[in-house]
Amino acid sequence: MVELDHSFTTGKPADYNWDAVLDLDRIIPCVEGGKVIELESPDLAKAEIKVKMGAMSMTFKGTVAVIERDEVAKRAVLRIKSKDTGGTGYANADVAFTLADGGGTIHTAATISGKAASMGEGVVSSVLDALINDFTGKLANI
Amino acid sequence: MSALGPENGTLTVRTGKAGAAAKAGHNLVIEVTRWQGKLSPESVELTADARSLRVRSGSGGISPLGDEEKAGISQTIDEEVLEGGNISYRSSAVTARDGGYDVEGELDLLGVSAPLAFSLDVDGDHLTGSASVKQTDWRIKPYSALFGTLKVADVVEVSIDATLPRSPSDG
Repeated sequence: MVELDHSFTTGKPADYNWDAVLDLDRIIPCVEGGKVIELESPDLAKAEIKVKMGAMSMTFKGTVAVIERDEVAKRAVLRIKSKDTGGTGYANADVAFTLADGGGTIHTAATISGKAASMGEGVVSSVLDALINDFTGKLANI
Repeated sequence: MSALGPENGTLTVRTGKAGAAAKAGHNLVIEVTRWQGKLSPESVELTADARSLRVRSGSGGISPLGDEEKAGISQTIDEEVLEGGNISYRSSAVTARDGGYDVEGELDLLGVSAPLAFSLDVDGDHLTGSASVKQTDWRIKPYSALFGTLKVADVVEVSIDATLPRSPSDG
């Protein structure tokens, strides 16, 4: 399990940030290579992420579900469950958002197996950290 | 003066990898398929077509490089790294030594000129040599992917392996 903490700024009110983060159609494409395949309900989307490694790429397909939402505390947890379409590996994560006026924080707990994990936890952690940093940059303009 | 090119030699670029996710990448062997050189005891000149680099093999990485990936990398080199720019080398000094030459000169790479020195070894009609090219010395930002965690190593090795043509005086 890789656990990472990040923060982000939007300069927007907490209510705006809350609505944006819980709008799966808006937030999933903020992950580089991420796209919604089908929004099944406001709390569940089929989605995929294509991670490019130069000419090589890995595609993970699965679901993004809102498993916790506490509007008073402005805390929500998204659960990502996905499988590597080119192998037997998977990438799962619980991503907890705590939102406030101006931005928020993200706690990510991820479990990855297969080819990606074969690079070692340190590498997975570095890549995931870079991916989430890129994500937080996009949240600034959400 | 000996004329060199793909018909009597190979010009190869070997790249390594760097960054936190270096394990995910491949060490590449890339052949320059269109180039020409002129070699004499006094001077060395070489030009290469930046659009002619082709990935021949890759080692390392989390999965083997297939033909599609090799073609994809060749296309990326063409479109995002070299962009068809000029590649030419001209010596300023060639010093003969036992078994070869020490060469000094200037490499013009994509419009930036910087000094580059290397050695050439000659064994009969067999010529070999290699030079280390540090991309940032020519203001080239090494290609990166995976949010910057996987990079091509700054220094690439360029090597030549050729059979010297017989000169008319050889009879």
